[in-house]
Amino acid sequence: MGKGARVYHLSRYWIETAFPFLTSSNYRITSPESPDYNCIAWAAGTDDRWWWPDSQYTAYWPDGVPREETLRAFIQAYSRAGYVPCDTSDFESGSEKIAIYTDENGKPTHAARQTQAGRWTSKLGHQEDIEHDRPDNLTGSYYGAVAIIMKRPCPCQPPV
Amino acid sequence: MTSASPIFDAAQNDVSFWLGEENVAIGDESTAISMAFETFLNDYFIPISRESIPYVRYHRLKEKWEAETAFLSSISDIVMHPAYQQIIGMGPVAIPLILREMSIKRGQWFWAMKAITNEDPVKPEQRGIVAEMSKAWLQWGKERGYIT
Repeated sequence: MGKGARVYHLSRYWIETAFPFLTSSNYRITSPESPDYNCIAWAAGTDDRWWWPDSQYTAYWPDGVPREETLRAFIQAYSRAGYVPCDTSDFESGSEKIAIYTDENGKPTHAARQTQAGRWTSKLGHQEDIEHDRPDNLTGSYYGAVAIIMKRPCPCQPPV
Repeated sequence: MTSASPIFDAAQNDVSFWLGEENVAIGDESTAISMAFETFLNDYFIPISRESIPYVRYHRLKEKWEAETAFLSSISDIVMHPAYQQIIGMGPVAIPLILREMSIKRGQWFWAMKAITNEDPVKPEQRGIVAEMSKAWLQWGKERGYIT
């Protein structure tokens, strides 16, 4: 048994244990694990830093956005990147959507981004990136539920 | 029979996992056995009685912290984990252990280092860039003789 195969198998086991709505048929691992960025950065389209509004200033947070763990602050952070709230997570050609998750107290926990294939990509903590079918594949005790969907014109589309 | 390993217990009880289709060459049973064996080795070689040794205590706490915060993005949730707080509670004795860890594998050690040392060598423009933050702390550690 190669080490890579063993690690891959263990990762799938851990992921499916933590997120019971993920099954072998609705997600795939798309990157090695990395401590260098988190889901909030990944949803914003970057993979070079960890985004979080922590009070000790150990993570990146956009200048001018309140450094507080509230949905309002996260919406404001993504607004800086051109996202606006929208009603549905359904795929729309020419738009890029993100989903922000919150726990039962309304505290943000996770963010996912829709790909141009209509699936969703998530970075799981300091573990791997995964691609999954729907935002609600990740609901549960770790990330709570989707609180808001936002969208912006897809950066890959030429302006009309 | 009760297993000493929570990992093995979880694997046994998770029927859906065992019934799921895994199109890989490794059996689910072998995965569970491997994990249980690793837990056994950990428990056998690092008994509670040796936790007075800082290195042993640190590693036990670190393993627990990493495993239980693996999927979290929230810095505050990550650093408020009881095992992380206990590492901070070890005080200056944990500094070389954390720095050594940083030199091998990057992670969210910055909050702990700030709390223990009351210093912060990270520049504002480096915030969130884990590789550069680690480098700044390693340089700090070398200058103060914690690591070579």
